[in-house]
Amino acid sequence: MTLTMTREAATKGGGSPRSHRPLITKRNIPYLLILPALLGFVAFKAYPILAALYISLTTGAGAARTFVGLDNYVRLVNDPLFWTALWNTALILVVQVPIMLLLALVLALGLNSPLLRLRGLWRLGVFMPSLTGLVAYGVMFSVILSKDSGLLNWVLGIFGVDAIDWLGSPFWARIAIVIALTWHYTGYNAVIYLAGLQSIPKELYEAAMVDGAGAVRRFWSITVPQLRPILLLTVVLSTIGTLQLFDEPFVITGGGPDNSTLTISLYLYENGFRYFDFGYAAAIAYALTLIVAGFGLLQLKLTGGKK
Amino acid sequence: MKGWALTFVLAAVFALCVGPFYWLAMAATHANSEIFAETPKFYPGDQLGANTAKLEESIGLVHVLGNTLFVAVVQTSIAIVVALLAGYAFAKFEFRGRNAFFVLLLSTLVIPGGVTIIPIFEMMNDLDLIDSFPALILPNLTVPFGIFLMRQSLLAIPDELLDAARVDGAGELRVLWRVVVPVMRPVLAALGVFLFLGAWNDFLWPLIALRTPEMFTLPVALATLQAQARTDFGQVMVGTAISSLPMMILFLVLQKQFISGLLAGATKG
Amino acid sequence: MINRRGVLALTLAGTLTLAACGGGGEKAESGGPVKITVWSWKPASDGLAAVAKDFERANPNIKVDVQVIGNPAIWEKITVGMAAGGKGLGDILHIGIDYLPSYVDKFPGGLADLNKLGAGKYKDAFAKGLWPTVTGKDGGVYAMPWEVNPIGFFYRSDLFEKAGIDAAAIRTWDDAIEAGKKLKEKTGASLIGLNKPAAGSMDMDFYQSLLQQQGAFYFNQQGDVTLSSAPAVQAMTLIKKMNDAGIVADTSGEGTAKKLISSGKLAVLPWAAWAASYIPEMRPEQKGLWRVMQPPAVTPGGKRTAIVNSTHLAISGTSKHQAEAFKFIEYALTKPEVINKVFKEGGVFPALTAAYSDPVFSAPTEYFGGQPALKTFVDSLTEGADATFYSSDYARALKIASDAQTQVLTKGADPAATLATAAQQLAQQTGRKLAG
Repeated sequence: MTLTMTREAATKGGGSPRSHRPLITKRNIPYLLILPALLGFVAFKAYPILAALYISLTTGAGAARTFVGLDNYVRLVNDPLFWTALWNTALILVVQVPIMLLLALVLALGLNSPLLRLRGLWRLGVFMPSLTGLVAYGVMFSVILSKDSGLLNWVLGIFGVDAIDWLGSPFWARIAIVIALTWHYTGYNAVIYLAGLQSIPKELYEAAMVDGAGAVRRFWSITVPQLRPILLLTVVLSTIGTLQLFDEPFVITGGGPDNSTLTISLYLYENGFRYFDFGYAAAIAYALTLIVAGFGLLQLKLTGGKK
Repeated sequence: MKGWALTFVLAAVFALCVGPFYWLAMAATHANSEIFAETPKFYPGDQLGANTAKLEESIGLVHVLGNTLFVAVVQTSIAIVVALLAGYAFAKFEFRGRNAFFVLLLSTLVIPGGVTIIPIFEMMNDLDLIDSFPALILPNLTVPFGIFLMRQSLLAIPDELLDAARVDGAGELRVLWRVVVPVMRPVLAALGVFLFLGAWNDFLWPLIALRTPEMFTLPVALATLQAQARTDFGQVMVGTAISSLPMMILFLVLQKQFISGLLAGATKG
Repeated sequence: MINRRGVLALTLAGTLTLAACGGGGEKAESGGPVKITVWSWKPASDGLAAVAKDFERANPNIKVDVQVIGNPAIWEKITVGMAAGGKGLGDILHIGIDYLPSYVDKFPGGLADLNKLGAGKYKDAFAKGLWPTVTGKDGGVYAMPWEVNPIGFFYRSDLFEKAGIDAAAIRTWDDAIEAGKKLKEKTGASLIGLNKPAAGSMDMDFYQSLLQQQGAFYFNQQGDVTLSSAPAVQAMTLIKKMNDAGIVADTSGEGTAKKLISSGKLAVLPWAAWAASYIPEMRPEQKGLWRVMQPPAVTPGGKRTAIVNSTHLAISGTSKHQAEAFKFIEYALTKPEVINKVFKEGGVFPALTAAYSDPVFSAPTEYFGGQPALKTFVDSLTEGADATFYSSDYARALKIASDAQTQVLTKGADPAATLATAAQQLAQQTGRKLAG
């Protein structure tokens, strides 16, 4: 602030007439830099989000839209399916994110090993699942998870495991979602971790080895602390991603069986695009936003919120 | 761990990751009526050419790929520049409203995209932009995640480096181009891969915003093949397999920069 | 591959020209031909596109552009257009009966009232039971019936023979269950397949057909909830009985049903008329093995007909060329020779009753062992189905009924108790009354 003010004063002190002032001055440079982003933000983020806020206070659509105040939010609190969806989302979040990130870390450690050849190929391999388009993803997993003719049960059968009703039992359907999510995003996170691992100065490890620290000790006292910022980044991104989970239940389980994999975002979609209840859908979005923002704040508090 | 043991374990993981793609690729070489036949198809069939030809006939594969490539390239390029400029301002300048705008920008990360579609559609319609590429590109030019990544990475660049260039009489854009961009190249590459991936696979908005088949992007064109029970999966599989190729190539080409680029953003977080 | 500059130039030129004519040809007001846009999905769209050419020749001042949107993508596209006050919609929209009443009720003015364009004279031209479903609560007619899908009972005659079952003797679903047990024992094949955990709309056709055979549905004509009525419970009880007898295969997962069919593990497909062209297309090698008949009744001597779905052509309320659009709809859907060409090219079973006198509907079908397969469906439609009241809350009802069926099939829940809870839930969610 002080800086801008002094700059402003300096410009004025210079006494150059208004009409001759160049378009780009020191003072307005940051505003010019930010302008494109600001325009895009106002038009395509702020405006539609505020419009959605208004929609969440209405019912009906098109010509039949009427203002109903907080009715949609009251309805939300009393809607058992909303709470089911919230519970399912939380459950998947709590189970899936730690498993995936742990797997990703282990995978990254393996990929980072000096013993490995052809690293580019391996990396591409583990990154490939995140390239899958939605339709193919759905078809693949439906084929993989089918009870009587699925690939997964076929593989398990080789090891003598009885066929699992992946899509038919509420418990296994949630596991199936966890498996699909893990398949989809583990490689993505592993590639991020790999980047972090490669940045850790080798000298740190060499010094520790001189001190006689074993591999496990080196991992906990060097690798983990050095990776901390990256671990935080992936935790935040995965948490936000899972709270907005839509693709997997949409294409694989359809939210079933009996709503056991219904997530908040899927419920939002159903209300908007199947029941044409746009006001209610917008209210769900805002409820989710409040929850996510709450989580974000909590995470920031827990991690000290430092820059 | 011994090298061979590691390789063995990684090979298993690799198989798990790539296996479904292998199945997909094999499915693409079989006729629709064969894909879901009694035994899974783990070997190539002879229908690849026929499926591709049918796909070209029904959606105009080459043309649609061109559309998708154009939209993804233009959108990604502009969004990167927008993010770089904004990130530079956030990281290296003091100005009124800086923190408030930054927080607002980040808070939009958590809003589910679905709810903003209808207002944006109405806007595009009033601007008479429906069924044009600007309708696809414009809403995706301000990417909060990208601006965040740019800001975090730019914070790591010492001010002295910039000041030295300024003392030499370089304007801000020149400083940005001559000093900042070369240092930031890895992060820019990383962001490029992320944004390209997002633009390439985007489905719901292009579906809503486009009207004529000549304008369709690949995901929208592939959706036209869906006809409930009568979907021709031979074509769908070929289309999907082809659609993942450009991204694989991009990843291979950029991965060296990409991997160190992610790091710059995250470690300074 | 084209080089980069080529792609750029090409797409840029495309952007400019297409952006220039923005709203889809609405600007050709004066002089030149009027362009109307049709939104549809494959393969029906192929049929429509074929007759559109003939139409254009007869009406040089009207151009018809049939666009393939895909199903289910078309619903998202229409819904957003409707929600935006009808902006950007095609002139003619292909809409299934599962969505039509919702669009009519929830978006007043979204679809044009075809009565004003002269649709009234076709009131009796279509298969019985369809006209009430395209008529709104206000008496307006919001779509013209195009495709009708009476349910059929496609069965593998070879498996039936092996198990020593005479298909003609199966008159009720209870008979079918007995036959199913024998089939399972002798051939290992299941009677039918259902997606037990996550029944989508296609999988619920079966339950709905059992309701419709009894003249019932999720709602009655007044719009009250009838999901816990005696017919609804009886239909669900039948499904539970089949499931408990171990003769219902689980077809969850993409392609599972197809696999079971190719390996001869499904003896019966309770599918509608569209399957008469779909099965031969899907399993060409099973030629001669399949037959089709009317499905058995729920009660002895009861109705064997049910229209499990139908699709229609509607005109968007904001279309600037409603008269021209109706002219095309009239041409495509109300002339026997034209609709039969649509049928031939697009595989959708026509709703127009005058179309059935064409020899194709009584001709022997080679794939079905020389049986006149289509005649089965014509007979069904001649017998006449009751009108089904989908209501504007059909999507919610479908979801709740599907959840109830899942509970019955996967947890062995009691049909009556499950449906009672489901009906209550439906009434509460929609603000409708439970029927007395």
